[in-house]
Amino acid sequence: MTNLIRAELQKLFTTRLWWAMALVMLALTSLGLVFLITTAGAPAPNGQPALPALDDPAWLPLALSNANGNIFTMILGIVLMTGEYRYQTITGTFLTTPKRGRVIAAKLGAGVIIGAFFAVVSLLFTAVVAVTAVLIGGGAVDLTANRIPQLAVGVLATMILYALFGIGLGALVRNQVAALIGGIVWAFVIESVLSSFPALQTVGKWLPGGAAQALMSIDFDTGLGESNLLPAWGGALVLIGYALLFAVVANLTTTRRDIT
Amino acid sequence: MTAIEIRNLSKSFGAVRAVDDVSFTVEAGTVTGYLGPNGAGKTTTLRSLLGLVTPDSGEALVNGRRYAGLDHPLNEVGAVLEATSFHPGRTARDHLRIMTTAAGLPASRPDEALEQVGLADAARKRVGGFSLGMRQRLALAGALLGQPKIFILDEPANGLDPAGIQWLRGFLRHLAHDTGAAVLVSSHVLAEVEQTVDNVVIIAKGRLVRQGSLAELTGNGGGAVRVKTKDDFAPALRAAGAEVEEVEPGVLKVRGLDAEEIGRLALDQRVLLTEVAHERSDLQSVFLELTGEGAGA
Ligand SMILES: Nc1ncnc2c1ncn2[C@@H]1O[C@H](COP(=O)(O)OP(=O)(O)OP(=O)(O)O)[C@@H](O)[C@H]1O
Ligand SMILES: [Mg+2]
Repeated sequence: MTNLIRAELQKLFTTRLWWAMALVMLALTSLGLVFLITTAGAPAPNGQPALPALDDPAWLPLALSNANGNIFTMILGIVLMTGEYRYQTITGTFLTTPKRGRVIAAKLGAGVIIGAFFAVVSLLFTAVVAVTAVLIGGGAVDLTANRIPQLAVGVLATMILYALFGIGLGALVRNQVAALIGGIVWAFVIESVLSSFPALQTVGKWLPGGAAQALMSIDFDTGLGESNLLPAWGGALVLIGYALLFAVVANLTTTRRDIT
Repeated sequence: MTAIEIRNLSKSFGAVRAVDDVSFTVEAGTVTGYLGPNGAGKTTTLRSLLGLVTPDSGEALVNGRRYAGLDHPLNEVGAVLEATSFHPGRTARDHLRIMTTAAGLPASRPDEALEQVGLADAARKRVGGFSLGMRQRLALAGALLGQPKIFILDEPANGLDPAGIQWLRGFLRHLAHDTGAAVLVSSHVLAEVEQTVDNVVIIAKGRLVRQGSLAELTGNGGGAVRVKTKDDFAPALRAAGAEVEEVEPGVLKVRGLDAEEIGRLALDQRVLLTEVAHERSDLQSVFLELTGEGAGA
């Protein structure tokens, strides 16, 4: 299985997609950081400070949660699976590993590593920029306070689980464009609606996005009422559940089909 | 043990019976040509053999086992499939490295295989820029990675230039006759394999039409003799028990009598023959005849 996981990683790292994805992720993270830095401490229209100031201990956790690039690991997961069908390399893959369940398992294993790799890159980049900003802004930095370790672990776990989620989705849908559009619309539109409004969170908390929020324990007061999320471990279980469900369903359907 | 064994294999796609109760075997040390016109069911048979397509009934075995049950498939079977696809952004060498990693083969194999198929110079080029012939060679390199003793090749000559085809012929003969491998190679262009194969299996519309050694199939062209005469010779031939077909005005195709018997009959009947010759039955005409493509041509 180690060999198969290594082969899956080679598949990703021998094409150019991964660094394009890494660059876009870092660019978007930078945009978010610029926004967080420039608006830090600025008063909101109603006179209340909308965001904590740079020297406020609450600012750093906020900046760190901006490191979450789960959309990118989800896309990589989708492509890792659907790319095989798009370029018909699935034929060679199944010739090399005819026990098809092992291919899916290896992709999930590679997804864990890819998700972790992107999470670490994003977290390190964010940490360097954010800590510098805090120090320049005259604040003190304590990386063990204010739930910062928990946030970092949350980002890591969410990005890993979204990679698995993407792989499962890709195995199920197979058509790359459909899977990408479906995944992105789901994550950005449907889920953000269902998991932002506390009234809808009874449903939303059971979806991957709500589960991810729970995992990171992002519980900001959005002014829309008290949020209704699962505990962090519950969020993790829900995400793992989705990945496994998709993988199992994929194993029962897609991977049994004839490759012609 | 029989290297490749196909036993009563059937597979339908919807209403199309792509392969219909086909059985044949391929022994070690021989090259078998799997021939048939487009849509005959060749690819479907080979894909069933490789576990990519699940047959409706029957069995397709390599070394007595189902391909999907093999623990080290690349070490037992090398396959080149029609329209083998590669990721265009990946280099030839990386493509082989991924297979090598997944199959747990020595890291030296990609370069050795590329060398063997004459692609060493293009090893670090992206496959997207490869010609069809280069892709075929790369696919063949993939089949060689695990140094298997069984080769299953679907139209491997597609896209090769005459020199490439010549090279492929020699290479397949070498694999079978020098290394003792069993080679099953499909084609719809007979000329490609005619000089390579020891045995022939012919399939048309999903059904096996004929199998045997090349010598058996081309042997005496089914015993037909071509006769040219301006006289009305057919009734006499028929009376002598021959089967006669007027191929074109003045040209008869005669079965059931050999050239000497026909000559004697002509002498008796005072018929002037301008040509009497055993039909030179190359595989092409046998093939066209057997697959029904020759009718009307
Ligand atoms: N996935 C599929 N879905 C539907 N029909 C199929 C499928 N694959 C093959 N067929 C049909 O099965 C029959 C046999 O096809 P196959 O590809 O095995 O022929 P072939 O002998 O390889 O032909 P060619 O020389 O053109 O490669 C054809 O009628 C084809 O249309
Ligand atoms: Mg074919």
